Amino acid sequence: MTRLEALPHYVESNRFEHFVNYELLGKTALRVQRWRDQWKIARRRPRPDSALNPPLRSVVHMKEIMSRHYLEGRYAAGVRKVAWVTSGAPTEPLQALGYFLVYPENHAALCGVRRKAQSIAEEAEHAGWSRDICSYARTDIGAMISGKTPAGRLPRPDVLVCCTNICQTVLHWYRVLADYFECPLVLIDTPFLYGEANDHEVAYVKRQIEDMICVAEEIAGKSLDETRFREVMTNARRGAELWLEVLNRSQQRPAPMTAFDGFIHMGPIVDMRGEAVTVAYYERLIAELDERIERGIGAIKEERYRVLWDNLPIWFKIGEFSKWLAERGVNVVASTYTFAWGELAPMIDPTQPLDSMARVYLHPILNRSTGHKLDAMKRMVDEFQLDGVILHSDRSCKPYSLGQIDQRDRLVKTLGVPALLLEADHNDPRDYSDEQGSNRLEAFIEMMEPRA
Amino acid sequence: MPIHYPRAMLRAHRLHPMELWGPPHVERHEGSRHFQAYTCDIVVKAMSFIRSGGLGASKAILVPHTCDALQGMGSVLGDFLDPDQRVLTLYLPRGRRGSDHEFLQSELRRLATTLVEVSGYEPSRADWDEAFEAEDAADRALADLYQRRDRLAISDRDFYTVVRSREYLTAEQFCQQAAALPEGDPPERGVGLMISGIVAEPALFDQIEAMGAHIAGDDLACGFRRVYSVSAQADPFERAAYRLLTSPADPTCGTPIQARVETLEARMRALGARGLLIYDPKFCEPELFDVPLLRKHLGACGFPVLHVEFEMGDRLPHQTLSRIEAFVETLS
Repeated sequence: MTRLEALPHYVESNRFEHFVNYELLGKTALRVQRWRDQWKIARRRPRPDSALNPPLRSVVHMKEIMSRHYLEGRYAAGVRKVAWVTSGAPTEPLQALGYFLVYPENHAALCGVRRKAQSIAEEAEHAGWSRDICSYARTDIGAMISGKTPAGRLPRPDVLVCCTNICQTVLHWYRVLADYFECPLVLIDTPFLYGEANDHEVAYVKRQIEDMICVAEEIAGKSLDETRFREVMTNARRGAELWLEVLNRSQQRPAPMTAFDGFIHMGPIVDMRGEAVTVAYYERLIAELDERIERGIGAIKEERYRVLWDNLPIWFKIGEFSKWLAERGVNVVASTYTFAWGELAPMIDPTQPLDSMARVYLHPILNRSTGHKLDAMKRMVDEFQLDGVILHSDRSCKPYSLGQIDQRDRLVKTLGVPALLLEADHNDPRDYSDEQGSNRLEAFIEMMEPRA
Repeated sequence: MPIHYPRAMLRAHRLHPMELWGPPHVERHEGSRHFQAYTCDIVVKAMSFIRSGGLGASKAILVPHTCDALQGMGSVLGDFLDPDQRVLTLYLPRGRRGSDHEFLQSELRRLATTLVEVSGYEPSRADWDEAFEAEDAADRALADLYQRRDRLAISDRDFYTVVRSREYLTAEQFCQQAAALPEGDPPERGVGLMISGIVAEPALFDQIEAMGAHIAGDDLACGFRRVYSVSAQADPFERAAYRLLTSPADPTCGTPIQARVETLEARMRALGARGLLIYDPKFCEPELFDVPLLRKHLGACGFPVLHVEFEMGDRLPHQTLSRIEAFVETLS
C-alpha cells in the first residue's frame, strides 16, 4: 500500500461534481442560509439578561464567505491545483496562478471552535505524536490520517508551502505532511529578526519567493500573469488596510467589537487575502462598526475595563470567555494576534510585488524579537486606553509565549498596568483548568478595580 | 549554545568556544523566572547557569537559531536581561539550496563584524587559513574516531567522553585526546543500538552497557550530526558556510524525513545496530515530530524503535531505564 492509499478520504472530484455541488447547489444553499440568518437576527429581541450587546450583523456574511471557501475545498482536488500553506506564507502568486489554498492552521482553529480538536488530535496521539507538540499540528495530522473534520473534507495538496515566519514548528509539521502526501514541499525560510532586517535577509526571502513561483508555475502548467498578480497584491494591501481599520475602530469608547469578535472576523484576511470578496467584506464590517460608534453601541453593555489579549486565542473557550468577561464589565478590545494581519499593510506595494512581499513576510510580529512585541503591547495600551493585559501563555505556541514572563514584568513595572499570565493552550482543552483560570482572572479584575 | 556554529571563524578572531548543553546539574529555578515550565531543559538550565554567573570571564554568548526555544532564549537575553557578555545570534538556514548557501555566507559576514567588536581583533588571511586548518583537523579526527570505533579498546562512556570533549577543548587538544585512545579488542559488547536525539549524558551509556547492550552508532546532535565535511574554498565565509550546510541529516536543519530514514537505515545496517533508541529531552519539537515516522519507516525495514524522553538531572528515572531494558531484551 502506498502512503496515499493509506489516506482514502483524499479523493479527487471532477468538473461536473465541482459545478453541481459547489457552484450550483452549494452556493445557493449558503445564500439561502445567510438570508435565514439575517431574518433571524432582524427578528431577535434584545436580551436584558445578557451582558453582551447583539452580535454584529455582518457575521452572517462572514459565515457565508468562509463556508463557501471550505465547501469549494471539498471539490477542489482534481479541478484546481491545491496548495496547503502556513498562515504567514506569501500566497499572492499562488492565488494569481489560480491555486485553491488550504490553511491547515485555520482548519485546526475551526476544529477548536467547534470543540472537535481534542478528539481529532487524539487520532494523531494514538499514531504516536506526542502531546507536547503543537495542538494545531496534532489536530491537522489527526484529521489527515483519520479523515475526521468538521469541514466535511479537505482537498489533497499538489504542493505544500511552508513559511517559517510564524514558528519553526511549521517546518517539522510540513515535513510530516510531505512524507504522507509525497508532494513537493516549498520552504520559505525567514530569518528571525532580533533587530532590524538586514539587506541579505530581505534578498534571501525574495529569492525563495521567486523560486516558489517557478515551482508553482510548473505544477500549475502556466505562467504567472503579471496583471492578475498585481490585482491580487492590490487586493491584499486593501484587505489588510481595511482589517487594520476594523481593529482600530475599537479605540473608541465603548469599543464596538471585542477581540473575540476579531478572532472570528479575521477568517477572510487569513484565508482569502488578495481576493475581492475580502475587501468587500471588511468594507461592510467597517460600515456597521461606524454605525455602532455613531449610536454609542458597544460590544458589551457596560464597559468598565478595557483589556489587551496577547497570543493566540483559546479557541475552544472564545464564547465562554467573551460572556464571562462581559458579565464583569471587561471588554477585551485588542489583541496582538489579530493585528498581525493588518499592521504590515503599508509595506505591501503592488508596483514592486516581490520586493515588498519579501519585506512583509519577514516582519510579522511572530518573526520579531520579544522586545519588539513588548513595544507593540505598550503602544496598544496607550492607543486603546487599556486597563490591563492578559498574556495567554500558550503551551502549544512557544515562539509567541517565550518572553512573556519578562514582558509581563515590564508592563507592570513601567506602565503600571495589571498584567496576567494565563496558562492554557490554543486548541487542547486538556491544558486549561477552568477553576484555576477563573480564579486568576477574578484576581486580575480586582487588580484593575482602582482604574475603573 | 548548541548545535551548529562556525568554529573556525571564532578561532580566527582569537575566540575559544565553550558549549552549554544545559548544563545538566544546574537547577532550573533561575531560568524558570524567565521561561515557562514547558520550555526544554537545555534552554532553562543554560539560562540559570548564565544568570548565576557561570560564564565567568566569557566575552560573548552566541545563540545559533536552532529551534523556537533557542530563538526565545537569544531574544530574551538580548532584549531584557543585559548579561555581562555580548549576546550574538546566528540564523542557520533550514534548507540546502543555492539561496541557503548565499544567505549563510552573508549571515556569517554579519557575524564576523560583531566578532571583531567583541574580540578587538581583525583576522588576517593567515589567521583564517590557520583556523580552518586546525578546525578541519579536529573535524577529521572526530570523523576518524567514528570510523575507528570498532577498533578502540574503550567503553561507550569513554568514547563519548572524548567525542564530547570537542565541546570545550581546543582543536589541538581534541586531536591529541582522540589520537591517544588505545586501539585493540573492544570490551565485551552486547546488542548493538543506534542512539538518536539531542544529547545523552555519560551515565546512560553505563546503564546501557549493564543491560547487555552497546552503542553501535549515534545520530546525536552532540555527536555524529557534527561530523562535518572538510572544505577547501578560498573565501573563508564560503568555506564556513559549506561546512555547516553539509552536516549529516538533522531535523533541526530541515532534513526531509525520508532522507533521514534512509541515512539511518544505511548506517544501522553498516554498523550492525539491531534497534533505534530515540532519547530526547522533554519538549524538543524538532525531534518529536519525526518519531512516529521513524518508527513506521524503520519498523518496516526491520528495525524496532524505542522513544524515551528525559529531564536533565542527576539520575535517570527508574521507569526510563526499565523501558530501555525491556527494549534491549526484545532485541537480544
